[in-house]
Amino acid sequence: MEEMNCETVFTLPVLGGISESVVVTWIIMAVLVIPSIILTRNLRVENPGKVQLALEAAISWAQDFFEGVIGKENRRYIPYLITVLLYLAVANTIALFGFKPPTKDLNVTAALAIMSMFLIEYSGIRKNGLKHWLRHFGQPVPVVAPIMVLEVVIRPLSLCMRLFGNMLAGFVVLELLKYFVPLIIPVPVSFYFDIFDGLLQAYVFVFLTALFMTEEME
Amino acid sequence: MIQINMNLVYTIINLVVLYLLLRHFLIRPVTQVMEKRKQMVEEGFKNAQDMQNDALKMKQEYEEALSGAKQESVRIVDNARRAARAEYDRIVGEAGEKAGSIIESAKETVRMEREKTMKELQSEIAGLAAASAAKIVGRQTGEQADRELYEQFLKETAGKAGEGSENEDR
Repeated sequence: MEEMNCETVFTLPVLGGISESVVVTWIIMAVLVIPSIILTRNLRVENPGKVQLALEAAISWAQDFFEGVIGKENRRYIPYLITVLLYLAVANTIALFGFKPPTKDLNVTAALAIMSMFLIEYSGIRKNGLKHWLRHFGQPVPVVAPIMVLEVVIRPLSLCMRLFGNMLAGFVVLELLKYFVPLIIPVPVSFYFDIFDGLLQAYVFVFLTALFMTEEME
Repeated sequence: MIQINMNLVYTIINLVVLYLLLRHFLIRPVTQVMEKRKQMVEEGFKNAQDMQNDALKMKQEYEEALSGAKQESVRIVDNARRAARAEYDRIVGEAGEKAGSIIESAKETVRMEREKTMKELQSEIAGLAAASAAKIVGRQTGEQADRELYEQFLKETAGKAGEGSENEDR
């Protein structure tokens, strides 16, 4: 049972308790940023190496994917979406290396959802102006206004809960399985929950965020 | 187990920092390199197109110059041919004239020669006739017969000489 808790790793004098998920997030940041610095140290326009080609292929795949969803004119949001995709992909699969995935902490998924919410509404306001943004709550008929206002909160809430529920459930199932059958059987299950489900949830999260942004920018 | 606390704020800060770091260290450099390469390729294509256009233009100019040269050469050859023909005609005409005049002078010379010869012959024949007449006279006398004989002889020789000169003219 103690496996499911998010322990407080240490306590800072002013900031209070720093939970495990925040510490793991720091580790993930290091895991993402340090290789980025190393890989992009000497990029070449001509005669790129194999590593650079792979990197470019990955980045351009992600860019093409998001461009297909939110359109070429909204390229400015793509770096954030790629960041979240990379962070979630690493966070959801980090259980393979013995860490507790930070996405099974509600604080992390809530933080991601709140940022998505701000990004969604910001993109709508930036694209169509504040007036249009306020007016779109009363469309197509003013009666639906309460539901439209609720939608602002519901969309990120569903994002948050979907991710949190998936990761927590996967984690719990895997821990229970490991407790009862510690040999061989957890391997395919771990494959499913840690790799397949983890990457799928990362994909779904950014895809839905991009989709909601497109909806908001119409 | 499920609780919202300050860690939410820390996570947001973490994510914003991660976003800035990744944008600065990963996405921007890679995107820039790809953009640069794309630009380079486009430039290369443009350059190639320009060069091809230049080459085509030069080829056209060369062709024009070449056809001009051909016309020029045809004109020159024509002129030369015409000049040569004129020269040829002139030379042949002159040669003909010269040959005509030479023939004329030769004819004149021949005629004069013949006249001179005839005169000489006449005088010689006269001498011969006189001599033969003297011989005859030496044997036969009679002045009447002498004169008759002489006249007759002269007539005969003159007739023969006339026939002979006609034959020469032909």
